[in-house]
Amino acid sequence: MQPFEDASLTDSLQSLPMAASVMRTQKQRISDSQPLSQSEASLPYRDRKQPNPSTASLFRSTLTPPGSRSGSPAPSTSGGRASPARTLSGSVFGSGGLKQSLLDTGAADNPGDPLNLILKSFVPHIAIHGSEDVNDLVREKGFSNGLWELLRPFGERIQGKVNIRDSVGLSRSWDDFSVRFTRFGDGVEAPEPLSGSVLRSPPGTANGSVKTDLLSDGNPGTNLIAQVERVVDRHLSYAEEASTGNLSPTTPTRPGLDLNATSPYYALYLRRLLSGIPLACHESFSHPVASVMAISSRNPSPIEALRKLYVETSQGEHRLPVWVDGEYLRYYVLVHDEEQSDITKSMALFDQMKRHFGLHCHLLRIRSSQSAETDDDSIPLPRSDWMTAAEELSDIQRSEDEEEDFQDPTRYIFESDATAIRTFIREMVTQSVIPTMERNVSVWNDQVASRRKGLSGKLMSFGKRWGAFGSSSRNSTSAAGGSNYDAAGGFYKPDTPEAIMRRMADYAFMLRDWKLAMSTYDLLRTDFQNDKAWRYHAAANEMAALALLIMPQNMSSKTRLETINQMLDQAFYSYHTRCNSLYGTIRCLILALELLRLRGGSGIDEAVRWGVRVLDARLMGPVGNALLKERMAICFAAKTGVGSQAWGSRRRKSALWSVLGAEAWISQGKYLQAQKCLNDARRMYSSLPGECGVQKFATASDFLAGLNERLKEGLGHRGEYHHHYGGYDGAGGVEEGELGNEVEEESENLNQDNRPLHQRRKNRASLSISAAAANLETTPPPPLTPLLPVKLQQHGSDDGSKEDRERSSGGVRKDGFG
Amino acid sequence: MSYYFAIIGTQDNPLFEYEFGTSKQGGDGQSRFSEQSRHLNQFILHSSLDIVEEVQWTNGALYLKVIDRFFNNYISVFLTPSNTKFLLLHQPPSSASIAPSSSTVTSSSSASVSSSVTAIPSLGGVGGVGGTRSSSTSIAANPTSPQTEEAIKNFFGEVYENYVKAVMSPFYRVNMEIKSPVFKNRVAAAGRKYL
Repeated sequence: MQPFEDASLTDSLQSLPMAASVMRTQKQRISDSQPLSQSEASLPYRDRKQPNPSTASLFRSTLTPPGSRSGSPAPSTSGGRASPARTLSGSVFGSGGLKQSLLDTGAADNPGDPLNLILKSFVPHIAIHGSEDVNDLVREKGFSNGLWELLRPFGERIQGKVNIRDSVGLSRSWDDFSVRFTRFGDGVEAPEPLSGSVLRSPPGTANGSVKTDLLSDGNPGTNLIAQVERVVDRHLSYAEEASTGNLSPTTPTRPGLDLNATSPYYALYLRRLLSGIPLACHESFSHPVASVMAISSRNPSPIEALRKLYVETSQGEHRLPVWVDGEYLRYYVLVHDEEQSDITKSMALFDQMKRHFGLHCHLLRIRSSQSAETDDDSIPLPRSDWMTAAEELSDIQRSEDEEEDFQDPTRYIFESDATAIRTFIREMVTQSVIPTMERNVSVWNDQVASRRKGLSGKLMSFGKRWGAFGSSSRNSTSAAGGSNYDAAGGFYKPDTPEAIMRRMADYAFMLRDWKLAMSTYDLLRTDFQNDKAWRYHAAANEMAALALLIMPQNMSSKTRLETINQMLDQAFYSYHTRCNSLYGTIRCLILALELLRLRGGSGIDEAVRWGVRVLDARLMGPVGNALLKERMAICFAAKTGVGSQAWGSRRRKSALWSVLGAEAWISQGKYLQAQKCLNDARRMYSSLPGECGVQKFATASDFLAGLNERLKEGLGHRGEYHHHYGGYDGAGGVEEGELGNEVEEESENLNQDNRPLHQRRKNRASLSISAAAANLETTPPPPLTPLLPVKLQQHGSDDGSKEDRERSSGGVRKDGFG
Repeated sequence: MSYYFAIIGTQDNPLFEYEFGTSKQGGDGQSRFSEQSRHLNQFILHSSLDIVEEVQWTNGALYLKVIDRFFNNYISVFLTPSNTKFLLLHQPPSSASIAPSSSTVTSSSSASVSSSVTAIPSLGGVGGVGGTRSSSTSIAANPTSPQTEEAIKNFFGEVYENYVKAVMSPFYRVNMEIKSPVFKNRVAAAGRKYL
C-alpha cells in the first residue's frame, strides 16, 4: 500500500524534473547530430570512403593503442590513479625468472597482455536478474538491455583494492580485481550425453562418431570460434578501409617487434575467445557465484516481487540446469529512482528488505533520466570490453545495415550515478561475494577436499578403481555405477564430491590462490580419468597446467615443463579427440602458449611447439591461423641469445614465422598486417650476423620479393582507390575505367562495381565467413581454399594467373604440413 | 621420402644445394616436394641454423642427428671443422601427398614395383612391404629411427669426404659456391646408396 500513496503524493513534484529530462534528451539529439554532419561537410574527402564515423567507436579496441584506452569507468574518476606500487612490487620480488609467480613480473598490468586477459576472464560471474520495473527504469536511461547493460562496464574494474585471504590465511590485496555480470541464464551449453555412447564404442570407431558429430553443426563451441573469427575479420577489414582515407592507421606500424605490446587483433581474438566462456557442466567459471535480484522503488509490492524473483531462479522454468549448484549467493538490490520516488519511502522499504533477507542487500540510488553528452556532470560509459563475439558481431552488422543513420552506441550517464554504481559494486564484491567465496572454499576444503586428500580418501578412490576393475567385463556405464559420474547425462550432480571440488578449485583460481587450485585440479584429474568423464578430465588438466604456469615454482624447469606438457597433452587429447570440443582445445592451447612464452627460456620452444600443434590440427580459420603465425614470430623473437653472437636466439625462426604470417595475410587481402609482418621479417634478417638473411637462397629470396611485389600492388591500389574516390566526391563525376586493366583482390575491386562501399564490404565479409565456416566445420578441412576463387578465374591477365599460381601454392603447401 | 641437402657457409650462404628422393623401396630418386614448397625448404633450412648454433655447443660429435622439426620436415645436421654445415631436410611422405606421388611412381616404374610402393605410405613401414625390405622401409617412414640416423650418418660421411676433396682445389676460396659437377654426381651417388 505504501508505494501507491507514495506515488500519488509525489506526482506533482515529478512533473518538473520529468519535463526537464525530456528537454534534455531533445537537446542531446540535436547536439548529437549537429557536429557530426558538420565534420562530414568540412571533410569531403572522408565523406564517401570513410565508413560512418560513429561506427569507429565499434572498432575502438583495435584502433587505439591499448594503453590509452579508457578500459573501465572506475579509473577515470579516481583522480589519475598512478600505480607505482604495482611496478615496484614487481622489481622487489623479481629475482629468478622461474621462481616467481608470473603475476609479479609486471606482465599482468598491461591491459592487452594475454596474462592480464586470463586474469580478467576467469573471474567470478554474477548473474543479474531484475524485475520488469527495474528494466523499465534503466531503459529510460537509454539502456535497452536492462540493468545488466548498465552495470556491466563497472564490473571490469572494482574500484580500490580488494583484499583476498587464501586458504592458508594470508591475505593479499589486488587492485585490478574484476567481476563479470551476466544475464541470468545466458549462454548455457548443454552437456553431451553422447560422451557416454562414445565411451562404449571401441577407440577405433570413436573417430567415426566424432566426424558425424562435427558435420551436424550443433556444436556451440564451433560457432563461438567462427564468431570470434568473424569479429576479428571485421576489425581487420575496417582497418584496411580506414587506411584508404586520410586517417593514418594508428596501430599496425609500430617500430620493431614490440615484445610487450600484443597485436591489438590478437588481443581482440583472445578477449573474444575468453569473453564467452559458456555455462557448461565441466567447469564452473561461468556458473553464477552470486545473483543480483533487483527491483526498483516503483514496484508496488517490492517484497513480493523479490520473492518472485527468487522463486524464478530456483524453481521456475528460467532456472539454471540441474548441474549448476543452486546454492549461490542471492544479493538483493533496491534501485531507488532519485527523480520520481521518495527517498524516505525507499529507506523504509530498504530496512524492511534488510530484515527479511539479511545483510546481502543494497540500496542503489540513481537518476532515471537519460544523460546527454553535453550535460556538465555526464561521463561516457565505455562499451564493455568483455562483450561476447556474438554481441559485437550484431553491433557491427547493425552499423552496416543502417550505414548513414547509425547512432554512436556510446552512452552517457551522470557522474553521480556512476559513483553510486561503483560504490554498490565495490560493496557487493568486497563485503558479500568475496567473503562468501572464501568461506565456501575453506568449508569445502575442510569437508570434502581434505577427506579426499587424506588416507581414507585415497583408499576410497583406490577401492572404487578396483571395484570398477572387477566388473570391467561389462561396459563403462556399469563401471560408472561405482562413481558419481552420471555417464548417461554426461555430468556430475552439484552435490557430489567431484563437482564440489571442481567448484572449489575454480573459486580458488578466481581468487588467485593458485596453489590450492593447482593441487585440487591435480587430484581431480585422476578422479575424472577413472570415471572416464573426458570433458571434465580435459578441463581439469587444462586448468591445472595454467595454474601451474602462473604460480611461483620451485621445481627445476625440466620437470616442470614435463609435467605441464603431460597435462596439456592429456587436455588436448581429451578435448580434441575424445570430446571434439573445438572451443576447449583452442582455449587450452592458446592460453598455454601465452603463459609458456612468458616463462621464457625453453618455455618458448614449448610454446611454439603447441602453436604448431594448433596449426597442424587445423583448428582455426584463416584469420586465427594468420594471427597465430604472427604470434609465433613474436614468441621466437622474445628469446634472446647469449653473448655478442646471440647464441641460442631464434631470430631466423622468428623471421620465418613472420614471412609465413605475411603470406597468410596477403592471401586474405589484409595488406596492412602483411606489411607489418614483412617489416618484422626484414628487420630480423638484417639483425643477423651475415646481415643478408635468406638472400643467398635463390628461391626463397625470389619468394620474398614476390610477396613484396604483391604487397606493394595491394597497397598501391589503395592509393589509387583513394584518389579515385576523392575525385568522385569532388567533381561529382567518375572517370570509369581508370583502373580498368588492373587486377585486384575483391576488396579493392572497383573497376566493375560501383556499389556503395558497405555493400561490397558485406559481400566480402560473407564470402570470408563462409570460407571460415567451411574450414571449421569439416574434420579434415579442405586445403585452405583461396577466399575468392571465382574472382580469380575472371581475370585472364598475366597477373591473375601468377596470383593464381601463388595461391594454389599456398593451398598445396599447407596440405603438405598436415 | 624427399630430401633437400644443402651445404651452408659461414655467412648463412648456401654453397651447394641438391634435391633428391629416396632410392630405396623402388623409389626413383626423384624428390616429391611440390613446386611451391621449394622456397619453403630454404626458409626452413635457414631457420634451423638457429638451432644448430645452439646445439653445436652441447654435443662433441660432428653429426648432430635430427635437431629440428617443422611440421612434417625434419632437419639433420653435420658440422665440419671450418664452420660449414651440412643440413639435410627430409620429409617423409605425408598422408596428404600420397595420392599424387604414388600414382606418378607407378606410371614411371615397372608394375612389379608399383604394388609395393602403393603399400608403403598407408602402412607406415610396419612391415606391409615384406620382410626383405623392412630395414629400408623404416628409413622412409620414420625419420627419427636409429636406422634412419645411421643411413644419414653414412650419407653425411661420404659427402664430407667428397667435400674435403672438392675444397682442396687450389682455386677454391672460403664461402665460394661449389659448382663442380663431379662433386654433384658424387653427392647424388651417396644419396642413391644410403637414402
